[in-house]
Amino acid sequence: MNASGTMRSCSSAIGKCGAALLLILLSAGAVANASSRSTSSTGTGTGTGTGTGTGTGTGTGTESDANNPDNQYSGDIPAYLEQAAQAGIEHRYAGPWEYFVGGGVSSFDCNGDRLPELYFAGGNEPAALFINNSKLAGELAFSASKAETLNIKGVLGSYPIDINNDGFLDLVVLRVGSNQIFQGGEDCSFKPANASWGFDGGNAWTTAFSATFEAGHHFPTLAFGNYVDRTAPGSPWGTCHDNELHRPSGSISASKTPGSNSNSNSNSNSNSNSNSNSNSNSNSNKDDIQHPDYSNKQNLSPGYCALSMLFTDWNKSGTDALRITNDRHYYRDGEEQLWRLNSGSYPRLYGRADGWDSLVIWGMGIAETDLNADGYPEYALTSMGDTKLQVLDLQQAIDENRPAYEDMAWSRQATAHRPYTGDDIKPSTGWHAQFEDVNNDARLDLFIAKGNVENMQDFASFDPDNLLMGGADGVFSEQGDIAGIALDTRGRGANVIDLNADGLLDIVVVNRDTNVSVFRHTGMQHQDTTRAGGNWLKLELQQAGANRHAVGARLSIKTGNVVQSRRVQVGGGHSSGMAGFIHVGLGVAERATVRVQWPDGQWSAPYKLFANRHVILKRDQDHALQWFADETR
Amino acid sequence: MKTTRVHQTGNLLVAVQAALLLALSHGVSSAADSVSWPEQRSPWSEHALPTLPGGDSYTGRLDAESLQRFLEHGEQLFDARFTVLDGAGRPMATQAIIPTKRKRAPRSEFSRTAGLDANACSSCHNVPFIGGAGDFSANVFVSEGFVHSDFDTTDPQFSNERNTNHLFGAGLIELLAREMSRDLVQLRSTALKLAKKTGAPVKQSLHSKQVNFGSLLAMPDGTIDTRKVQGVDQDLVVRPFSHKGVMTSLRQFTVNALNHHHGMQATERFGPRWTGDADFDGDGYTREISDSDVSALVAWQAALAPPTRFQPTDTRWTQAATTGEALFAQIGCDSCHRPYLPLESLDFHDPGPLDAAGTLRENEADSTIYALSLLPWAQLLTRNAEGHYRIPLFGDLKRHVISDQQVASLGNELLSQRFVERNVFMTTELWGVAATAPYGHRGDMTTLSQVIDAHGGQARNSRDAWDALDNEQRSSIIAFLKTLDISPP
Repeated sequence: MNASGTMRSCSSAIGKCGAALLLILLSAGAVANASSRSTSSTGTGTGTGTGTGTGTGTGTGTESDANNPDNQYSGDIPAYLEQAAQAGIEHRYAGPWEYFVGGGVSSFDCNGDRLPELYFAGGNEPAALFINNSKLAGELAFSASKAETLNIKGVLGSYPIDINNDGFLDLVVLRVGSNQIFQGGEDCSFKPANASWGFDGGNAWTTAFSATFEAGHHFPTLAFGNYVDRTAPGSPWGTCHDNELHRPSGSISASKTPGSNSNSNSNSNSNSNSNSNSNSNSNSNKDDIQHPDYSNKQNLSPGYCALSMLFTDWNKSGTDALRITNDRHYYRDGEEQLWRLNSGSYPRLYGRADGWDSLVIWGMGIAETDLNADGYPEYALTSMGDTKLQVLDLQQAIDENRPAYEDMAWSRQATAHRPYTGDDIKPSTGWHAQFEDVNNDARLDLFIAKGNVENMQDFASFDPDNLLMGGADGVFSEQGDIAGIALDTRGRGANVIDLNADGLLDIVVVNRDTNVSVFRHTGMQHQDTTRAGGNWLKLELQQAGANRHAVGARLSIKTGNVVQSRRVQVGGGHSSGMAGFIHVGLGVAERATVRVQWPDGQWSAPYKLFANRHVILKRDQDHALQWFADETR
Repeated sequence: MKTTRVHQTGNLLVAVQAALLLALSHGVSSAADSVSWPEQRSPWSEHALPTLPGGDSYTGRLDAESLQRFLEHGEQLFDARFTVLDGAGRPMATQAIIPTKRKRAPRSEFSRTAGLDANACSSCHNVPFIGGAGDFSANVFVSEGFVHSDFDTTDPQFSNERNTNHLFGAGLIELLAREMSRDLVQLRSTALKLAKKTGAPVKQSLHSKQVNFGSLLAMPDGTIDTRKVQGVDQDLVVRPFSHKGVMTSLRQFTVNALNHHHGMQATERFGPRWTGDADFDGDGYTREISDSDVSALVAWQAALAPPTRFQPTDTRWTQAATTGEALFAQIGCDSCHRPYLPLESLDFHDPGPLDAAGTLRENEADSTIYALSLLPWAQLLTRNAEGHYRIPLFGDLKRHVISDQQVASLGNELLSQRFVERNVFMTTELWGVAATAPYGHRGDMTTLSQVIDAHGGQARNSRDAWDALDNEQRSSIIAFLKTLDISPP
């Protein structure tokens, strides 16, 4: 864990930060209301925490943000330093109208050192892969990959996933024009795989992607979300392109595909400790199924100009549905969508009769989480103006299997509808969204990348990214300014990910027309320096055979009476994917009991894990492996 | 000897507390505020929390005078019978080490089972004098405190009943554990580097101070397999405190105990930083125990003189003890009850290097060094050839299986604790054993012979050897153990 005591850049300006926050508090807007509500819920005594000023440690206190008495948030606030250039990353996302959207980054390890590389979309400029050379818990360091296979133009975003189950992450690249799948190999080598895997990249303007392993399939099902059909008459208005579903041809029995999601009713949260023994079967089957075949494509029609999509188990059924957020700017009579994936047959849209209410927004990004670990996910949907935070109506869901959602963004103060600092009070434009725990307090926070589309006068011009810190009362509190991420950039895609294996989540944001932002997490702000935050765990799942990285698996992390939930997914955000360790903040718990519900629904035995380490959980092994970053690099 | 009986509280205290809560309904008070204006304290004040001597900064390396003042404050805290005016009580929080809310306040806050079960630290730690062990009547009922936290039964399915340990030499114990943890982590690091360099797995034996902790397997890709690690947690942190060996530091234990036994919540764990609530336990008081108060308690415990060897004037006892000590080694007792472990430094840094979030850590506060070498008892420590202090703890700071099918009485608990199985316990340090009866982790054995007879599991061979000795030989071992005494200050 970083304990370097590094001075953060904002700390010297914390008075300014505090003044800015005070202005917001005094404004009549929702953010001010959020703060005042937070005040009443957190009670009194959240002062400077200077203690008695005499004894050991008394000069330091243990309460948050001692330098800023105006800030009612009592938890730790990260100190982020923007270090893209210092880390060796010079890259921008640019281009004409087609590249007003998109601008993704994906993070994944492709050279076996378990540190995430970064692949940036470039728009009409070449995309680029940067190799992570960062030192353990040290300064970030990247170098452009010498292999240029991935340096193609027309890229809007990308998602890593091991498609052919060879243990190497492949890369699905979304483009204006033909999408491209790259087969990953040793030492960050990639080769085009469209032809060999029967994948027709099409010629659409592709802006969204998600993947899942359906029951009975050895390879993943791929969904592509397309934006405006530029060739249609009247384009762009009301001419949204259909979306696409690429299911692997053929199927084998579910017993031979333990890695795929079960289509059985596995929502019972079974306490069974028995693990499937069928991985060995899939190994023996491996030679029979060397390559996927995606020659069969299904159009998902109608399309409403998707900007993000995510396979999600909304009803805890064990079978994913496909959720799509759509941009109302171009569709006519459209709405948000949820596709039911009946096993093998043509997907069907949920409609009014199913309980799916119309929601019309400028949908830009999807972030899924499970705030109360009940197995029913919540979704943050970014838009222009209000961000939505949808929670399932459990009564309708359980009694009638109806996907009826209510919005709780207002009550949780997560609307993030206009800039929280600066003078611009026009509505915000939200893009990538991601729930993570950036201060390791065991409460999920919400990051939203923000940025004007392109000189849209009705929307905020200065539109900083959000860092909504989750509070003990479930209410979010905006701390982006104090955290040091409120830059005057136009964010798009992003990743919240630990780049240097210190358990602290860094933030990577792709900005339109300017260099990317790489915010290094230097610790938690405290007076003029930083200190360590809460405890944490990072978990990597592995299984043999199909679906090596356990896409669709669910993790249950128990500390005391608190249960947190995480799910391994491919998709969502805004044109930005990630693969690798799953991060969990543990607060003051130094131990956690972790159970895995593998993609076929089988629960693992509990793993008893100690905090502040990287752990690898392999299916059918009742013991965990610890991983340590190379100290000598 | 000061002995406080918890039964003295009762309904009156609850009534007073309820009245105070009503009086405070217009706001919450800060216990820390109370100690900021000591002049407002009347001689008959019902506050118990002492005031830290002002004017000095208790950071950095304390000189003898500052250390002494700090220790005095620590002792006052240790002996303070906390009152509701100090923030005692936790009507809306459980005893759990992770801040945990109750669903509803208990009908009676004091309870000999779930707690609050003591008014002062010294209520239980008082045999043979303050800082010491506890009688059976001072047993504590250890529960994780997450579910069934208000258990009102001694049924072992709800808690593990534990006898109070003495704290003499606790600072030295923690220093030993820190050095051992450092050694183990260094071995892990070395193995990982070698595995990476050679591209082959490396089986690394884990040992520190000649105590073996099994082995680990380091792989070239940076992963390690800890299945063969023995007697220490997977993170290789030697946790030397509690019968179970699950507490990392005096600081961690102190914060736990203040909440559990007294409802005095330390800001460093129960404050708004972690809980979002300045008055987490809902008793109307905020900042009940400051970082500095915890530090003073840690300092005082760390500075307690280690137990000593009693030199009998009766030559028969001396001779018997000499024989007994030899037999003690001969039958293998000293394989776990190591007579000495070497310690490199007597500098006790607070906060320590091994604590996790929720217990003050090194980069969260200015470090203070309590140089134990400044204390008179330090002059009595001998050194080995390497110049390391020989700490005569008669322990190995390692956990062992202590019961088996035939000899099971020390495996009498139903609940595991903090990932440690029910029949596994830390080797009890035998220094001071002559002065700290009763014995066994439940304190339900009145003689040393009984507890020796109860050793099973990994101690079975030694126990059988003890059993095979004749009466005189066994008596000589008892004679030896009875020299492991605690001297009055």
